Amino acid sequence: MLPGGLRGRALAALAALALLGGLGAGAANGERTQHGELIVALDGGLSPLKLPRDRPAPVSMHLEGGLKTADGGLLPQVTAIELELPGQGVLSTQGLPTCSPRQLRDTTSAKARETCGEALVGSGTLEADVLLLNQNPFKIQADLLAFNGRVRGRRAVILHASAAKPPIVVVVPLLIEHRSGSFETALVGELSPTLGPWPHFAHFEMTLSRRYAYRGRERSYLSASCPIPRRFTAGFFSFAKATFSLADGREVSTTIARGCRAR
Amino acid sequence: MQASKRKSRCRGWIAAIVTSAALLPAGAASAAEAPTRAEYVTQLESLCKPDAAATRVAMKGARADIRRERLAAAAEKFAAASSIFAGTVKEISAVARPSADEAKLTKWFGYLGAQESYLRRITAQLRADHAIPAQRLTARFIHNGNLANNTVLAFGFDYCSFKFSRYG
Repeated sequence: MLPGGLRGRALAALAALALLGGLGAGAANGERTQHGELIVALDGGLSPLKLPRDRPAPVSMHLEGGLKTADGGLLPQVTAIELELPGQGVLSTQGLPTCSPRQLRDTTSAKARETCGEALVGSGTLEADVLLLNQNPFKIQADLLAFNGRVRGRRAVILHASAAKPPIVVVVPLLIEHRSGSFETALVGELSPTLGPWPHFAHFEMTLSRRYAYRGRERSYLSASCPIPRRFTAGFFSFAKATFSLADGREVSTTIARGCRAR
Repeated sequence: MQASKRKSRCRGWIAAIVTSAALLPAGAASAAEAPTRAEYVTQLESLCKPDAAATRVAMKGARADIRRERLAAAAEKFAAASSIFAGTVKEISAVARPSADEAKLTKWFGYLGAQESYLRRITAQLRADHAIPAQRLTARFIHNGNLANNTVLAFGFDYCSFKFSRYG
């Protein structure tokens, strides 16, 4: 499935494995869990919702979530992020150009698109709390871009966050890992302490979607199916899990379930 | 008259002491029975933990059963999960609640009651080989579970919270 790698193999991403069910459940405001004063939120879904039962079809995936404190206190420093995705979908990068973190360093969003536009697989926004000595904390908003890439020989999603005020650019590679269980694909990224204010991030939203042509065939970065029996019209599946590792050693996470309709 | 007054006062004291003696243990017990939120969460989690694990075991393979249209086999797994859930709710209902959280917990137990009912009804529909009604009830079961979780978000439950992944 990777260029030159796991070609043709269905990778995990989204797709719909079904328990039973209709849709709409739980999708309204996302799911939250609380760990002490810290609240972790995650929301998201696939588009379109109607998918073939027996073969993957191109989809886009929206994910949003973040951290907040119940008492309005300062957000803790995040040292690593893990986004887990279910294993019944396909994440295809065959024939898709790649971009390296080095190409994206110190670039604005416009420049990053110009340099690595062919490898672009998603976009969104990122919000973080900035903590500076002798100053009140303030929020910063950044444009978020996601590129197909390879890091240390492994497939990756390279996140590029760029804010105008103050001007900050951060590049975080999320390595793609394969696992067993409900979530067979994980995007794993470590946030270096040298990233300064960024690890205190509050919220992200991102849509992953890319259609491209390779060897004369239309392809999609993400594909999914709704593999439910004929007698059912809809199904539920574990859609995503977000885990944040914190500087104090804690790990906090939340999981969301979503549905699909068969067409 | 004075002697009678003294006698009556004395009787009053005795009555008061007897009453206090009778009430004291009850008062002490009620103070002991009203745990803090942290104590309550710890106690409930210890009760929910084994049942959460048992639910996972009971529901193992239910997803595959549904995919292969073995609704009767899935129904028996839902029946087992339903029975475990009912047992858990019964157990945790009996635990004294923090007085400040009474209203919130009453609401939560309302959602848990609905969850119990959904599980029973899903089981019945699967047994009757009614796919679409079972599908609709499952949607409500998941939605209701999320509402239950939101009600007690601040408690930070893990094993006592609704998790879709436990059900196959």
